[in-house]
Amino acid sequence: MRLPRFEYLRPETLEDTLDLLADHKDDASILAGGTDLLVRMKKGLLSPKVLISLKALKNLSCIQKNGGSISIGATTPLADIIASDLIQADAAALSQACEKVGAVSLQHYRGTIGGNVLQNNRCHHYNQSRFHRSGRQACHKDGGKICYARDEADRCYSTCQSDGATALMALGAKLVLVSKKNERTVDLADFYTNDGMVPFAMESHELLKEIIIPVKGGSSAYRRLAYRSAIDYPIVCAGVLLGVTDNKIDKARIVVGAMGRSPLFLSQASSSLNGKDLTDNKAFKAAAYQAMDSAAPFAVHNVGFTLEYRQAMVEKMVFWALTDAATAAIA
Amino acid sequence: MEKISITLDVNGKLCELMVAPNDTLLEVLRDDLDLTGSKESCGEGVCGSCTVHIDGKPVRSCLTLALEAEGSKIKTVEGLANGDQLTDLQRSFINHGAVQCGFCTPGMLMSADALLNENPDPDRTEVKKALAGNICRCTGYAKIIEAVVHANHPHEGCPDCVPYRRSERKGEE
Repeated sequence: MRLPRFEYLRPETLEDTLDLLADHKDDASILAGGTDLLVRMKKGLLSPKVLISLKALKNLSCIQKNGGSISIGATTPLADIIASDLIQADAAALSQACEKVGAVSLQHYRGTIGGNVLQNNRCHHYNQSRFHRSGRQACHKDGGKICYARDEADRCYSTCQSDGATALMALGAKLVLVSKKNERTVDLADFYTNDGMVPFAMESHELLKEIIIPVKGGSSAYRRLAYRSAIDYPIVCAGVLLGVTDNKIDKARIVVGAMGRSPLFLSQASSSLNGKDLTDNKAFKAAAYQAMDSAAPFAVHNVGFTLEYRQAMVEKMVFWALTDAATAAIA
Repeated sequence: MEKISITLDVNGKLCELMVAPNDTLLEVLRDDLDLTGSKESCGEGVCGSCTVHIDGKPVRSCLTLALEAEGSKIKTVEGLANGDQLTDLQRSFINHGAVQCGFCTPGMLMSADALLNENPDPDRTEVKKALAGNICRCTGYAKIIEAVVHANHPHEGCPDCVPYRRSERKGEE
């Protein structure tokens, strides 16, 4: 498959990159690892006039601990995150999530954490070759007016299948977005528009610079279910964070991914665990059931397997993630 | 579209080339440098048959722009053997019959080579994990995994670890 034509730019500094982004805006796409972007370009889902490569911006690839938080540069390869002791210790869920992205030896060296979080929403009716899509009417995301995933839908229901984003949202991460004019920090939870067409609340002249994970102690875990683990995107995934004092859970965060247009933070299920014991399996089961109940209505049948199966598996994934996190906290 | 002049370090040789921005590393390797060992199959980073090493790490050349590989050391399957001298891994593939149609073999070799460079004595699980992104449509995985596990350390109990020599076998019969 040939890539469409584009102009390739490789700025040497962050300032130059932001200038270029400000000049080209919607015409430009950012190229980091390319494992998602180039596939989308090959399929004709995206044809930017300009690709701005971040290859020369070496200082965007770093993992540092600054006081009470870990900061990860946007172009840090997934392999570096998996190998990092710092992340293993304080943000285990992210480490586990990155490990499960794609194939161990292949996506991990090219794929970056920034690219993983900013991967566009997917739908198995839309993420297909040009030839496949040419056989029928265009859907909302393709510029048409129909949706194959939900009858009579007036908008796009494509699903956010990012492993990284689900784990990061459970960890309460923040994104640092820079543009020529300013720099802003936004909670990952507020970063989504809930519109499948344009999933991220981000201007076209902005660049994701770093991801900040607050370290408040506690224990986290991530679980995912996919057709073929080395190739496919998750069809259900769950990231959890358990804040622990004296063997009791004082604050829990349960996030379910690949079920909606953004990862879903489930506050009801999360708060049901407050004050519960770390060994209280019954409470975990109840929270997992609650999570399934809350997440199920958001999903549509568009990423494979039947909808019913995916909805039922939310309970399993959340329960396993909770038990993993609790086991890690006890150890 | 204007072509850009770049220098690629492929298998230890510096190659000066004119490439278009939308040329992938795979296209340049196969079409411009005639290194047709790396194969294009899916073209979207799923099958692993285009795997090459960039700075010692296995990556998919179909999803790497040629321009992005500038300044890195690239190694393709042609760069594994030293002239006619095959590596232990390649010999092991032959001895174990880990090659069926052969289309996935270059990718398998490159992924396995990267694993063996990091971990000279991997167990089956580690090999399976490292090769998880390489698909063999002949489904000959069992022999491939065995070939990698036994590559650096031939097992005495394994009949395939004894080099297969046709003339000797004929003599036995």
